Amino acid sequence: MNPAGGALGAGAGAAGAGEIGAAEITLIFDQATVDLDALQRSAYAVAAEMTVDIRVSGADYACTLFPRDRHPNDDDLKHRFRAEVNDQILRVRIAKETEPLRNLVFALAFSQTGLIEGDTEAGTEA
Amino acid sequence: MINAVKLERAATTLPPHGWRLLPMRFHRLGADSVVLTNLVGEHVFVTPDELVGVAEGTCGDQDLLARLRAVHLIQVPGETLPAELLAIKLRTRMRRLPDSTGLHIFVVTLRCEHTCRYCQVSRQSAAKSEFDMTRETARRALDLAFRSPSPHLKIEFQGGEPLLNFPLIRWITAEAKRMNAGHGKDLAFVIATNLALLDDEILEFCAEQDVHLSTSLDGPQNLHNGNRRRPGQDSWQQAVAGIRRAQERLGPDRVSALMTTTEASLDRAAEIIDAYADLGLRGVFLRPISPYGFALRGRGGANYDVERWLEFYAAGLDQIVELNRQAVPMVEIYASIIAKKMLTNSDPGYVDLTSPAGIGIGALVYNYDGDIYASDEGRMLAESGDRTFRLGNVHSSSYAEVMLSDGLLRPLTESIALSAPMCATCAFEPYCGADPVFHHTTAGDFTGHKALSAFCRRNTGVFTLLLRKMRDDPYFRDLMRRWAQ
Repeated sequence: MNPAGGALGAGAGAAGAGEIGAAEITLIFDQATVDLDALQRSAYAVAAEMTVDIRVSGADYACTLFPRDRHPNDDDLKHRFRAEVNDQILRVRIAKETEPLRNLVFALAFSQTGLIEGDTEAGTEA
Repeated sequence: MINAVKLERAATTLPPHGWRLLPMRFHRLGADSVVLTNLVGEHVFVTPDELVGVAEGTCGDQDLLARLRAVHLIQVPGETLPAELLAIKLRTRMRRLPDSTGLHIFVVTLRCEHTCRYCQVSRQSAAKSEFDMTRETARRALDLAFRSPSPHLKIEFQGGEPLLNFPLIRWITAEAKRMNAGHGKDLAFVIATNLALLDDEILEFCAEQDVHLSTSLDGPQNLHNGNRRRPGQDSWQQAVAGIRRAQERLGPDRVSALMTTTEASLDRAAEIIDAYADLGLRGVFLRPISPYGFALRGRGGANYDVERWLEFYAAGLDQIVELNRQAVPMVEIYASIIAKKMLTNSDPGYVDLTSPAGIGIGALVYNYDGDIYASDEGRMLAESGDRTFRLGNVHSSSYAEVMLSDGLLRPLTESIALSAPMCATCAFEPYCGADPVFHHTTAGDFTGHKALSAFCRRNTGVFTLLLRKMRDDPYFRDLMRRWAQ
């Protein structure tokens, strides 16, 4: 089972990214290729450099970037956010695909520890 | 033979989309390199394109796929062994949890004859004996310590300067050994001392009772004495003389030293390492200053940022590697702790790099007045008026009340890295820790915002540095393997 959906290479997810407004730094992401979850995770991860306002705009998400630096390089800021979004898309996909196995591993790891009542090192009692 | 090899290769050749991803996380080490880690921190270096190929199922590099299978990052559909092996390794890493609490810190006095610029506690003058722990308090603390399920108990004497209350150290040691006759625990003792008061009686006691000494050495004389002030400005001379006497009487491995980085240290990493090597010390712990107590004052020595400390750390590590190349054995203690986590399935249980956090379940602190704290930093916070991490008092609290207190369970559960934003998807989560005391102090909650966290930036910087060096330098990778043993 492999990740479904768009490509994961450079510029993916943000491939349709564009700008609106001259004064604001805004990136547009197609809702068909980018999860809101990935955008929110990206906004969280770049919080030291910028804050991000995410709005629904038709079939897109519009992300307005507010740099903490008073004299930002707009291109650097956009590249930084796009790169983060691409990584978060991949992380979300991997996490979704592997979640059942992750749960299985944790269940196996914490069974037979003697920590749960009725559960012994030798095996779970019937 | 040749046919067997061919058959083996044919059996392990994976077609496109012929594998399933296992739980994996990744971190970019630069433009051309990514590290992938599995649930327990085993890792593989790949290129960004290889990462995409593996995730999309298009990778055709059989050697890479074999390496990924070997560390349980992918599996062939139908295989069950990878999940079972991961579970065993995960359980091995977590095995310390049921055996809480191994470290018990006894603050036998707040008195101190030093006035260190970065001191984190509310030191008292050497004459004020009301800041000494009493036998009754110590006895109650021992009762609690022996309630811990851990088969290993380390009792660490701290202060102030603990040797100012040496009679109590002697009494606690004897009493703990007497009590242990009925428990059979592996018992160890450490005195954290500046060594200025070390004399023959104390050395003899340490030799007879198998007590280790841990001291502070910030590096060369002028750096150390600038940080660690005492009447006569001879802290370095006292520490060096004490280290030599202890090495001679107790043996080279029974005395160790720690340094604290102030802004005066930042350009002197190699000198600091050399000062340790000159004394025959085999380990250096390159520690940043902690954001507690006097360290936060203007003259406390904490006037530098994480990035500057990381430069210092890298320079110090380079010097340590160079000494090893010259056959001078030297370990950077923090790197060795991380090496264990990166290259083995055991967790050394270092309090600052564990999740769940090490507070309470890794260490308990008994203050001179009987108050119990979840960590030494928690005690330091209380000295400045914040009693968040006070868990009770030895004279009024039962073991169950302490270990099940809201003051312990809330920070433990709220800070677990596996459920913290950013940490949950971070490739370095198996190496890192939850530090609820640090984040409570710096961010106002037990989890903190990791994108804004100095703890996260510092540890991410150290992990990245160590991984890059292991990737690029076979000698350093071998060194890390030796440190991990």
